Amino acid sequence: MPNLQPYQNPTYFVWLIGGLIPLMIGLLRGKRWRLYETGLSLAFLLLTFGAEKYHQGLALVAYVIFEVALLYLYLHYRQKHNSGWIFTAAVALAIAPLVMVKLTPFIFGKASLLGFLGISYLTFKVVGIVMEIRDGAIKELKFFELVHFILFFPTISSGPIDRYRRFLSDYQTVVSKDEYLEMLEKGVHNIFLGFLYKFILAYLFGTVWLPQVGHLALAHGGFSWWLVLYMYVYAMDLFFDFAGYSLFAVGISYFMGVKTPINFNKPFLAPNIKEFWNRWHMSLSFWFRDYIYMRFVFFVMKNKLLQDRILISQVGYLVLFLIMGFWHGLTWYYIVYGLYHALAIIICDMWLRFKKKHRLPHNKATKALGVVITFNTVCLSFLIFSGFLDKLFF
Amino acid sequence: MKKKLWLIFGPALCAGMLLLLFLGSPFLTKIKYSKKTLQQAASSQAANVFKGGALKQQAFSGQYVPFFGSSELSRFDPLHPSILAAKYHRPYQPFLLGTAGTQSLSHYFSMQPANASLQGKKAVFIISPQWFVKQGCDKNAFGYYYSNLQVVDFILQTKDAPATRYAAKRVLSLTDISDQWLKKALEAKAKGQKLDWATKNYLIYKKHELTHEDVMFSNLKIKNRTKLIQKKTALLPDKYNLASLDQTAKTLGQKHTSGNPFEVSHTFWNKKLKDNYQRLKGKQAAFDYTQSVEFADFELVLQQFKQNKMQVLFVIPPVNAKWMAYTGLSAAMLQRFNQKITYQLKTQGFNNICDLSTNYQKYYMQDTIHLGWRGWLALDQQVKPFMAQTYQVPKYHLHAYFYSQKWQNLSGKQIEQLK
Repeated sequence: MPNLQPYQNPTYFVWLIGGLIPLMIGLLRGKRWRLYETGLSLAFLLLTFGAEKYHQGLALVAYVIFEVALLYLYLHYRQKHNSGWIFTAAVALAIAPLVMVKLTPFIFGKASLLGFLGISYLTFKVVGIVMEIRDGAIKELKFFELVHFILFFPTISSGPIDRYRRFLSDYQTVVSKDEYLEMLEKGVHNIFLGFLYKFILAYLFGTVWLPQVGHLALAHGGFSWWLVLYMYVYAMDLFFDFAGYSLFAVGISYFMGVKTPINFNKPFLAPNIKEFWNRWHMSLSFWFRDYIYMRFVFFVMKNKLLQDRILISQVGYLVLFLIMGFWHGLTWYYIVYGLYHALAIIICDMWLRFKKKHRLPHNKATKALGVVITFNTVCLSFLIFSGFLDKLFF
Repeated sequence: MKKKLWLIFGPALCAGMLLLLFLGSPFLTKIKYSKKTLQQAASSQAANVFKGGALKQQAFSGQYVPFFGSSELSRFDPLHPSILAAKYHRPYQPFLLGTAGTQSLSHYFSMQPANASLQGKKAVFIISPQWFVKQGCDKNAFGYYYSNLQVVDFILQTKDAPATRYAAKRVLSLTDISDQWLKKALEAKAKGQKLDWATKNYLIYKKHELTHEDVMFSNLKIKNRTKLIQKKTALLPDKYNLASLDQTAKTLGQKHTSGNPFEVSHTFWNKKLKDNYQRLKGKQAAFDYTQSVEFADFELVLQQFKQNKMQVLFVIPPVNAKWMAYTGLSAAMLQRFNQKITYQLKTQGFNNICDLSTNYQKYYMQDTIHLGWRGWLALDQQVKPFMAQTYQVPKYHLHAYFYSQKWQNLSGKQIEQLK
């Protein structure tokens, strides 16, 4: 049996589009053929997690059983009680497999048997559901739809991270023909833009140039202009690779009549770092905003741990970005990357307040300057993130 | 709705159709590779070079001469043919075809996309006795060096003949061709049937498509050994002189093979033999290289050489004598193999044979079965004058008998009686 990773090569697309055509005909006729859709999903999951990757497939099955059971148990509990401790325990249990998978390499020096492609993104979805059960926003779970949401194959490996209630409303209804036609149009656009990003630009930056520039930077050692060039090339590669992948995931979701949220919105044109995070890996940063930052701020205010609102938000950023850093991995450069962004956003906030207070000019030139500064700040952060400095200095 | 759907998917469909049309068209199927690329490809032994056509065609149209062989070609000590040719600025440059696992049948098919450029070429062909086990080439190895381009060219070029049918059957028995249309065409070829119009046109389309693929991708990922070769040439004496080269070979051989009972190179000893040689004591006594389907596969190669009017120097390498004694590999059997293959060559007019099989001197072999230092030098003693001769159109006369089961299984006394 062959094994294909999502959007890996043209063959995957040929199979995918071929498989989607019946589904698309159904949707055009106002019908969602559930049985076919489920079969197609299973087939593509098997394509990614079968054959030589079967151990990942088994881990995935075990993971889904565990998380779904946990969600039902917590929902059952929440219908009668509402203890903060049980809620905390539920979140801890939900992230436990991910934590184990992330820690295993550091403790035992090899990859965990529980790991599989996309475990982070599945965990984000599950934790989101736990939080919304706590809030009372989710009052019931539909087993079939829940499993389908967690395992939605177009986004399984790296998001975008959808929300359960949003997904459910798409999945339970069939869009009107006109709207679906519009979605198809957007889908085609996304997929072709994705081809340009992932198969041409990311290939050029990542496969052709990055190793050459990296080699020269290492040969020179220490600080050099090659290192500066490496920083930009790496940033471009990171963007086009991930944005390309996200465009595929969104495009294919649209073909399936599901409006998966977009992940990138011209992030390098952001005028400040705060705006950057509203445009870069959006589904992740909104997840962190809603489920970590906001909750942290409410918690602190409710319990009156801090008084100063500005200070609260600053600590909130620190918490958010440190968690993000740790999530990326337990190395110094991911954690420094988190701290760096927390610091950048705190400084940005201070500057915005200063600017407002002193009524500093705001025009095209200042905006352009903002874009340039933000872009370079971000590129530097990606250089830290790349781990290249680790190779260069240590 | 139809109009709207057309507006959405039409452009993508058109783009796809244009791409398929371009790939299937005969346009832009030629590319001029740089000197550097050719140089790298010649010593890379890369599988995609072996499977393709474009690089070989350009190389053989120039000064490159094919050196067919298998794993011995990757023994890059300073006396390796590629390094000698580079050092002493020979008018020919070896283009290495083959690596571990390429046997007669793979070579036959590898020539198919390059036949036009092989017309009237000289070549060196190193025969390994170890190929001639009962079943001939290994299924997986053959599959690894197989490409659809080779087979499409084979189908389009060959006329119906016993050799053609034999070759088609062999491929069908060794690989599973996923392209069903191509598979059917090959099955027809095996039965001697004519191809219908549609199949023929499909194959022509396929040939263009595969050629485009080959032109675009076969020069990627080739191992660059030019630096290695440069480095090794420095170890050779500046002037070509047999005595001093032999001295260099001896010194290097001594340096690299000391300290183990079989006088094999340190790397080979440490990687392959040290831990398990004791288990192999006496284990090769029953090895037989005289009865094998490989003899018929080899006949296909000869057939292609004839068709391309190529002048070929055949090399029969020896086996490490100490290793033979230890494993019990029969010298008499090797002698019979030698007789049989020589008979097959000479009776059909292939008279250039460099028989090294009875050379058991020191530092001849780099390991158990692969030529090294002095072995390479001995080969060069024949390659050099062979390449210097002016090319003459060879006269070969082939016999279908060499495809027969009878010939494949001829053994023992029967071989000794061959005249």
